[in-house]
Amino acid sequence: MTKQDPEPDIGSLETEMNRGFLHILALALLEKDMYGYSMVKHIETLGYRVEENTLYPLLRRLEKNGWIASKWDLSEDRPRKFYAVTAAGRALRASLLDVWKIQDRILDKLIKENSHVE
Amino acid sequence: MSNKLEAYLEEISHYLSGRAEREEILSEIRSHILEKAAAEHGGTGDDAVDRAIGAYGPPRRVAERYAEDRPIIAPAYKRHLVRYTTLLFAVHAALTVFGVITGKTFVIFPFLYMPVLGVFDAVMYLPMAFLADLGLVALVLYFVTQSGKDVKLPWPKIGVDLDEVKPPRKAFWGRVGTAIGAVVMLAVTDFAFYIFARYHTIFLYLTDGSDPRPLLTPEAGRYLSMIVIAQLALSTMTLLIKLFTRSPWVNIVSNVVSLGLIGLILRQTFDNLFAVDISEKLLRVVKGNIKITLLVIALIITYELVRDIVRVSLRKLDHVVPNK
Repeated sequence: MTKQDPEPDIGSLETEMNRGFLHILALALLEKDMYGYSMVKHIETLGYRVEENTLYPLLRRLEKNGWIASKWDLSEDRPRKFYAVTAAGRALRASLLDVWKIQDRILDKLIKENSHVE
Repeated sequence: MSNKLEAYLEEISHYLSGRAEREEILSEIRSHILEKAAAEHGGTGDDAVDRAIGAYGPPRRVAERYAEDRPIIAPAYKRHLVRYTTLLFAVHAALTVFGVITGKTFVIFPFLYMPVLGVFDAVMYLPMAFLADLGLVALVLYFVTQSGKDVKLPWPKIGVDLDEVKPPRKAFWGRVGTAIGAVVMLAVTDFAFYIFARYHTIFLYLTDGSDPRPLLTPEAGRYLSMIVIAQLALSTMTLLIKLFTRSPWVNIVSNVVSLGLIGLILRQTFDNLFAVDISEKLLRVVKGNIKITLLVIALIITYELVRDIVRVSLRKLDHVVPNK
């Protein structure tokens, strides 16, 4: 996953950072049932882009751990696999968001401190 | 259904081979590509599907995204791979030399079977032995890594630290030495070639005041002279190339060729070798000494070869698995 405006090029570091972020993003998105393609499009409307071939392995790992559940919908012309967050997934999302908020607060504080130094 | 889509999924399936959820993964990808083709490229025809496939990525990369993060061999065991292989190969090489000297067969089922080897066989056998040792150690470390357990492997203090061998420094005086060496070797090679052109052999002896006389029979003299000149030329070329590059491949290639040249000498039976009268007893001693000397040289070259291959492999490993 990359930002739409990928300057400066921070390559693999960004990928590593995004790994955790994508987990929270998927768990937040799946508060309502969605299928993979709709998730990709929805993320794009939020100003981010997720590589399609990254999303599905991530969903698979989340499902393996019981944080999301899935079911195939065969009622339409094309079969679609819908995903939804589970109770365990919600608990995980809350914990991850707490971690993220703490990290965000710390970085914010540090950046403010540095701006005074400069 | 698009043939291209099925071919694409088939290729992904190939890389996912063995995974229990393979069919499920392929169904997810199929569903996504058809969805995207219909929504963004106006249908599910070959052209639209092709474009959706292009955006999804190459099959191997797609399959790799499903791989667990666990590496084949844990980075922490990288040094063990080198250390254990070094020790195992040292034992293997020692047994080989011992086997050649005593003429005995060694069997440590199922890891080692060493039939009675001649000197030439032993020289050819050692590089294979190294690869087998490396493979065996890698296999053990693979199973340890895949077990997922925090195994503390023993760390023997003996052995040569091949993993700590540093590439030579790019010092000015080092280059001067290489340049002098290259000039000297060039002169020696040139001289040897001149002698060979004049006498058809480089193995000569001088008698009082007369022309030099061949030490070896014409056939053996010509054959061995050509090999020695080839070795001299090889050393000269290696030194000259090393003036311009520090690539370990120079030494690797040079050492492989050297081993081949030694092999060519050892293939000789050394019968009917000398053109001068020499007693049977002395001939046996000379033959034995030549073989042992060549074996020792071959062992030293093999050691250097292994060291350089380890060095190159480690450098490549560092590129593949960056230290985190």
